[in-house]
Amino acid sequence: MRMQRYSILITAALITLSGCSKDFLDINPQGQLVEEQALIDPNAAEQLVGGVYNTLYFGGFGNTTVGFLFQCLNDIASDDTEKGSSPSDFAAGGEIDNFTVTPNNFILNNIWAGHYTAIARVNRAIDILSQSTFEQSVKNRLLGEVRFLRGLYYFNLVRTFGGVPKLIRVPDPSEGNSDEFQTRATQEEIYQVILEDLQFAADNLPLKGATVVGRATKGAAQSYLAKVYMYRKDWPKVLENTTAVINSGSYDLVQDYAAIFRENPVNNEGGNNNIESIFEVQTGVNLGENAVSELYSNGQGPRSRGGWNDLGFGINTPTADLANAYEPNDERRAASIIFINPTVVPRAGGDPANVGTLLWDGFRIPTQDSVENERYNYKAYHSPLRESPQVSNNKDKKPKNIRLMRYADVLLMYAEAQANLGNGGEAQAKLTMVRNRAGLDAAAGTVDNIWRERRVELAMEQDRFFDLVRQGRAGTVLRSKGKPFVDGKHELFPVPQAQRDLSGGRLTQNPGY
Amino acid sequence: MRKLFTSLAACVLIILLFTGEAFSQNIVVKGRVTDVANGETLIGVSIKVKGAAQGTSTDANGAFTITVAPNATLVFTYIGFEPAEVPVNNQTTLTVTMKTSASALEEVVVVGYGTQRKSDVTGSVAKIKGADIASQPVLAATQAIQGRVAGVQIISSGDPNALPTVRIRGTGTMKGGANPLYVVDGIITEDIRNINNADIVSMDILKDASATAIYGMRAANGVLLITTKKGKQGKMVISYDAHTGVKEAANLVDMAGPAQYAGYLNEANVYYGSGDELITTDQIANGANTDWYDAILKKGFQQNHNLSLSGGTEDLTYFFSAGYLSDAGIIETNNFNRFTLRSNNEYNATKWLKLSSLISFSRLNNRGVDLGAFNVAYRAAPYIASKVNDLYGNTSLSNNVGNPLLSLEKVDNRTLGNRLQGSFALDVKPVSWLSLRSSFGVDLDFLRSTNYGYQFANVGANSVFLTEGGNQLRDKSDLTVISNNATKWVWDNTATFNKIFDKHSVNVLVGVTSEYYRFNGLEGKRVNVPADRDQWYLGAGSTTGATNNNTGDKWARNSYISRLNYAYDNRYLLTATFRADGTSRFPSSNRWGYFPSVGLGWNIAEEDFMKGQKTLTTFKIRGSWGKVGNDQINTNVYFPIAAINLPYFYDGVEYSGIAFDQLPDRNVKWETTEEYDLGLDYGFINNRLTGEIDYYHKKTTDALIDIRIPAILGDADALYTTNAATFTNRGLEFGIHWTDKINDNWSYNIGGNVSYNKNEITGLNGGQALVEGNIGGNQGNVTRSDNGQPIGSFYIYEATGIFQDAEEIAASAQKDARPGDLRYRDLGGPDGTPDGVINEFDRTYVGSYQPKYTFGINGSLTYKSFDLSINTYGTAGGKIYNGKKASRLDQRDNLEAAVVKNRWTPDRPSGTDPRANLAQLPASTYFLEKGDFFRINNLTLGYAVPKEKLSRFFIDRLRVFVAAQNLATITGYSGFTPEIISGNPLNAGIESNIYPTTRTFTFGVNIGL
Repeated sequence: MRMQRYSILITAALITLSGCSKDFLDINPQGQLVEEQALIDPNAAEQLVGGVYNTLYFGGFGNTTVGFLFQCLNDIASDDTEKGSSPSDFAAGGEIDNFTVTPNNFILNNIWAGHYTAIARVNRAIDILSQSTFEQSVKNRLLGEVRFLRGLYYFNLVRTFGGVPKLIRVPDPSEGNSDEFQTRATQEEIYQVILEDLQFAADNLPLKGATVVGRATKGAAQSYLAKVYMYRKDWPKVLENTTAVINSGSYDLVQDYAAIFRENPVNNEGGNNNIESIFEVQTGVNLGENAVSELYSNGQGPRSRGGWNDLGFGINTPTADLANAYEPNDERRAASIIFINPTVVPRAGGDPANVGTLLWDGFRIPTQDSVENERYNYKAYHSPLRESPQVSNNKDKKPKNIRLMRYADVLLMYAEAQANLGNGGEAQAKLTMVRNRAGLDAAAGTVDNIWRERRVELAMEQDRFFDLVRQGRAGTVLRSKGKPFVDGKHELFPVPQAQRDLSGGRLTQNPGY
Repeated sequence: MRKLFTSLAACVLIILLFTGEAFSQNIVVKGRVTDVANGETLIGVSIKVKGAAQGTSTDANGAFTITVAPNATLVFTYIGFEPAEVPVNNQTTLTVTMKTSASALEEVVVVGYGTQRKSDVTGSVAKIKGADIASQPVLAATQAIQGRVAGVQIISSGDPNALPTVRIRGTGTMKGGANPLYVVDGIITEDIRNINNADIVSMDILKDASATAIYGMRAANGVLLITTKKGKQGKMVISYDAHTGVKEAANLVDMAGPAQYAGYLNEANVYYGSGDELITTDQIANGANTDWYDAILKKGFQQNHNLSLSGGTEDLTYFFSAGYLSDAGIIETNNFNRFTLRSNNEYNATKWLKLSSLISFSRLNNRGVDLGAFNVAYRAAPYIASKVNDLYGNTSLSNNVGNPLLSLEKVDNRTLGNRLQGSFALDVKPVSWLSLRSSFGVDLDFLRSTNYGYQFANVGANSVFLTEGGNQLRDKSDLTVISNNATKWVWDNTATFNKIFDKHSVNVLVGVTSEYYRFNGLEGKRVNVPADRDQWYLGAGSTTGATNNNTGDKWARNSYISRLNYAYDNRYLLTATFRADGTSRFPSSNRWGYFPSVGLGWNIAEEDFMKGQKTLTTFKIRGSWGKVGNDQINTNVYFPIAAINLPYFYDGVEYSGIAFDQLPDRNVKWETTEEYDLGLDYGFINNRLTGEIDYYHKKTTDALIDIRIPAILGDADALYTTNAATFTNRGLEFGIHWTDKINDNWSYNIGGNVSYNKNEITGLNGGQALVEGNIGGNQGNVTRSDNGQPIGSFYIYEATGIFQDAEEIAASAQKDARPGDLRYRDLGGPDGTPDGVINEFDRTYVGSYQPKYTFGINGSLTYKSFDLSINTYGTAGGKIYNGKKASRLDQRDNLEAAVVKNRWTPDRPSGTDPRANLAQLPASTYFLEKGDFFRINNLTLGYAVPKEKLSRFFIDRLRVFVAAQNLATITGYSGFTPEIISGNPLNAGIESNIYPTTRTFTFGVNIGL
C-alpha cells in the first residue's frame, strides 16, 4: 500500500505541476516583429519614412497611389487613350472610358484605399519622427519628405474625388469611427492641407544634388506647389515657384525626347533620373520583386492575339485623336506611341515577310493581325532585351520608373502663369524651349497654345484629364470627341460606394452619381 | 479560479489516500467463459470480485483462474455482452456463459477523458464501429461515416489525399475553423489522414454541449473521438485484409464538340459582333476533336493492404499493424500512397499499475495536381489537340487558357510526410473506486514538399507545341522546396472516482491538461534547376532570383477539467462538466474561458410502472445545456505586427522600410456557442427496434469575422478580425434501427436517419454583410452573409426567363436586351423600390449551400455465409452555384453541350436557356442549381468461407468481397459533383476547382489466422 500512496502523491504533484508556470501562456508571435519592439530601434523613424516611400509602388490591379490604375483613370477618362485590350477585358476601365462609371467601380475604391493607406503611413511616420531624437535638420528633412508625399497624395485625391476625409494625424482607435474622420472635408480644406504640406517640404528639403537621388527635393516640392497653385489659378504663386525651380539651375531639358523614358541614357542623355526629372518613382530589381510598380509597364504593353510572346495586357491605348494631335515633324509622336505596323511587305524573292513593328531595342512586334490594338503607350515600355529584366518569369514586375514630374511641365506652368499675367513674351520663350526640343518651331505664348502643348508634351503622364477639368473645358473638349461628359457631374469621380457604406452613409456622394 | 481548482483537486486526492483494503482466507477458482449463443470461448472477459478491486480476465482459451473468498461473487463483463454475476459458493470450477447484449444502448461510449455506458449518457452521442469504417475503400475515416449519423454532414472528395469536410449540426463558424475537433486516443488533432482505418476500434461522435463541453474552447464544432485497437489476452491473432480496385470519375459533364462549339460561337458573333466566323470552317476541318476531360483524366488503380498481429497475456497485451494504401487518383500525374505502422501495447506491471504506449507512424507520399487544370479543361477549345507525338495543342492561341494536360505534365509536385503520433500513459488504481491517469501524447509532423516546374518554350526549336506562340510557357525551370516541422505535446493528468452507494452511482473526474505546439517552416525557391530529378535541391539552382523564407508558430494551452456523473437507480441521471481553458492565442485580458454544461436524463423504462410491459425496452429522455468555444483563428491576431523589409530604392540602392499597416483587435477572444439539446432514446421489442430523436438549439455569439473597416484608417487589407457576429443553428435529428434474425440462415438489419438544420445569422456588427465568392469577370461576388440569412447565402440576380420579342423587352427593365436574352427581376433601386434598371440593387438571397436535410439509409443482410451491405447518403435543400459554367472568362471558351443544344434561337425559342452569347452573363439564378442528391455510397457483397472448410489450412476466417464505392448518385445537379469541399463557410458551394467525385470498384479479402 505504501507504493500506492506514493503514486497518488506523485500524481497529485503532477496535477499541480502541470498547472504550469505563470508565463506558460505568454507567447510572442514567432518570426514577426511586434510594433512595440519595432519602435525600440533608434532607426525606427527613418525606417517608417522608407515605408512611406514604399507606397509609391502601390500598383497592379490592387490598391494604388500613382501606379497602373491611377494612370488608367486619368488617361482613359481623357481623350488621350482608350481602355484598350480585348473588348470584354477590363470592363471597369471601359466604364471610365465611356463615363458610365458607378460608385462600385473597383478602380476608384483601390485608388481611394491605396492613397489612404499611404497617408496613414505618413501620419504614423510624422508621429514617430516628432518624438525622435534626430538632429533638427535631419528631422525636418525627413518630415519634409513624408509631408511632400502626403501633399502629392491629397492632391490626387482632391482632383479625383473633390473633398475627402482629412486625416493628418494617427487617430486613436476610439476615434476611428468619429464624424471628424468619417465625413468629407471641403475641397478647400484639403487644398489647405496640400499647400501646407508642400510648403513645409519646399522650406525644409534640400536641393537636387544635396540629397540622395530618389528622395524628395526642394525642386520637387516647389514644382508641385506650382501645379497646385495652377489648379487654383493663383498665377503669381505659380510664377514664384516655377521661377525658383528654373533658377535653381538643377534642371534642364533632355534634348532627345525618347531618351527621357528609357532606363539608361542614350548618347549620354536621358535615362532614369535624368536632368529633366524632378520627381520619379524609383524602381529596382530585388529578389522579392517588390520594388516595382506592378503592371505599370506590362499593363500597358502591346497585347498579342496569338502567335508571339506579347509584351503586356494592352490596356490604356492611345487614341487616333491623340496621334493626330501632334503637328507634322513632332518628334514626340513616335516617341510616345507605338504604332502597330499593319503592312505585309513582299520580300525580295516575292514571298511576303512579316515585318511588323520594330521597337527601339530591336524587339519586333508582328503585324496587326497578331496584335490586339493599333497603338500602345511607348512611354510605359520597358525593354525585355535592353533594360533590367525582372527576376522571375513574372512580366508584371518590370522595373519601370514612373516619371511623375518633369522640367518640361515646370516650363509650361511658368509659361501659362506668364501668359495669364500678361507677359506673352516670357510665355513664348519657355513654350518655345519645349517645342524646339520636339523639333518644332516657336509658337505664340497664348494660353491656347500652351494647353495644346501640354497635351502632346505630357501625353499619358497622368495629367490630361485633370488638366482639362482645371482648364474648365473638359465637357466641351470631351463631348466633341464623342464622350458623354456631363457638366457638373463628370469633373469628379464618384466616392466609392464601399467606403460610403463603411462610413455608415456619412460620406456624401458627388453630384449626379 | 485556476488556483482554487488546482488545490481542490490535489486536496481531494490526498484525502483519498487514507483508505484501505481488507483480505481474508481464500480459495482458488478455475473456470471457462463461453458465448451462450454458439459455445465459442470468450477471450479477454474481465472478471472482478464484487465489492473488491481484485480481478483477472480470460485467456486465449477462455479460461481463468482467480483466488477469492469462498462466499465471493464474481462479476463478468465483456464488451457487447450482458454482464453476468456468479456467486462462488465454495465451488472451485465454474462454467460461465454470457449472452450478447440485446441492447445497443448497453454499449460503452468514449466521452472524452473516460468512457460511459450509453444508457447513462445524458448528451447526444453516436458510435460507429471500426469494422464499418474499415470496410470502405477511403483514406480518411470520416468519409466512411457519411450517412451513418444523424446531424453529421460529411462532404467527401475524390482527391486521394483529401480530408473530408465535416459539419456537425450545421455550420458552426464563419471564419475558418469549422471542422470538428478530432481526438485520437486522447491526442487532439486537426488532421486524421495519418490514421489507418483498419486500426480503428470505434469512432465516437459527441454532438451536444453536455458531451462536448469537457473539451471547452475547441468543442463548438463537435468532437470526433477515435479509439484504436488494442490487443486482447489470448493467443496471437493475425489478420490480413486487402482490397484492390479501380477508380474513375463518377460523373462528367458533356462538353461541346468542335462543330457545336464553332456553330455556337459563330452564331453568337452574328448577334454580338461583326458576324464573321469566330471559328472558321477551316479551323474545325483541320482541327482535332478533343474531349479535354478524356485528356486529363484516367482510371486510377487503388490498393490497400493491412496486416495486424495482436494478442497478449495477463501482463502484456499487444497490437501491431502495418498498412499500405496506394491510390493513383483519376487526374493525370496524380498519385498517392501511404504507409502506416502502429504498435499499441499495454503492460500490467502490477494489479494496480498499468502502462500503455500507443504509437503510430505514417508516411505519405503524394504527387499532387493543380486542380486548376480541371477547370481549364472546361474552357479549352475542343478543336485543339491535347497532345500529338509529345507535342501539345496550343490552347492559349485559341482562347487564352493553358493546355491543361501540359500544365499537369510540366510540373512535378511531391509531398512527403512523416508523422509520428503516440501517447504514453500510466494508470494507477490504488483502490477500486479510484483511477489515476497521467498520459503524455506527442504528435510530430514532418512534411517536405518539392515542387518542380519544367522549363518549356512556346516558340523556336524547343517549342513543346504543335503550333508556336501563345502565352503558355515557362522561361526558366523553377523549384520550390518546403520543409515543415510541427511538434505538439499534450499532457493529461486525471483522477476518476467511481463509487456506488446503494442506488447511487457517482463518478467524478478531475484533471489538468496542458498542450504546447510549435511549428517551423522553411521554404526556398530557385530558378534554372536542371530537369534531372536527382538535382531537385535548392543548391542546384541559380543564385539569381533565389528566395528563402522561414516562418514559425507557437501556442500553448492549459486547462482544468471536471465532470460529475450521477445516477440514481439507473433511472435518474445527471452529468455536469466544467472546463477552464487558458490559451496563449488571446490577449491576457481574454486568456481564460469557462465552459460549463449540465445534462439530465430519465430512464423511464426502468421505472416500476413500466416493469410489467414488454414492448418498450428502452425509453430515456435527455435534456442538456452547455457552453463551448471555438478559438480556431491564426495565432496572435491581436498583436500589432510591423510590416518589414518594405523596399525603396534611393540612388539605386535598396533600403528596407517598415510600416504598421494592420490594425489588430487587441481584445479578440474565442467564439462561444451555447447549446440546448432535448433528446429521446427508444427501444422496442427487446431493443430490436431502437433509435433516437433530438432537438437542438445552438446559438453562437462573439463569432469571429473579418469586418471591413474604412480605408481611411490605413489598414492595408481593410480587414479587421473581431468578435462581431451572432448566429444560430436549430435542428431535429431522427434515427431508427431495426435488427431481425428470421432463422439460422437469414438475418438482416436496417437503419435510417434524417436530420434537419436551419442556420441563420442573427446579428452582424453594424449590419455589415460579408461578401465572398468571387467568380471573376463581371460576376463579382456571389455569396453574402447577412442578418436573417444562412451563412454563405447566394446573393445574385433572379433570372425569370427569356425575352421572346421586342414587346417584352420594352416592358422590362432591360431596354438594351434582345430577344433570347435572360430576363432578370427588377427588385430594387437606390430607394428600395424597383427603378427600371437592373443593377446591384436587384441582387437577392436565393439560398445557400448548407443543406436543410441530410439523411442516410444503411442496411445489411446475411444469408448463410453471404453478407450484403449497403450505405446510402443524401442531402436536400442546399444550392450550388455552377462556377465553371458561370466563369466564361474568354469569349472563345468552350461550353457545355447542353448549353449549346438548349440555347434560344428565333426558330426554337426557349423559355429557360438564353441565346448564344460571347460574354460572361451576370451572376444570376441561371447558374444556381439545387444541390440535392441521394447516393449509394457503398455496396458490398461478401462471402465468408465456412470455418469447417478452413481448419485444415490453419485459417480461422476467410472472407472475400466485392464492393462498389459511390455506385450511383441521383441528383438534378448538372455539374460534376454536388459535393463541394471548401474551407471557408462564407463561400461554400461554388463549383470551380473541385476534384471530381470518384466511383471505385474493389475486390478484397479478409484473412484471420
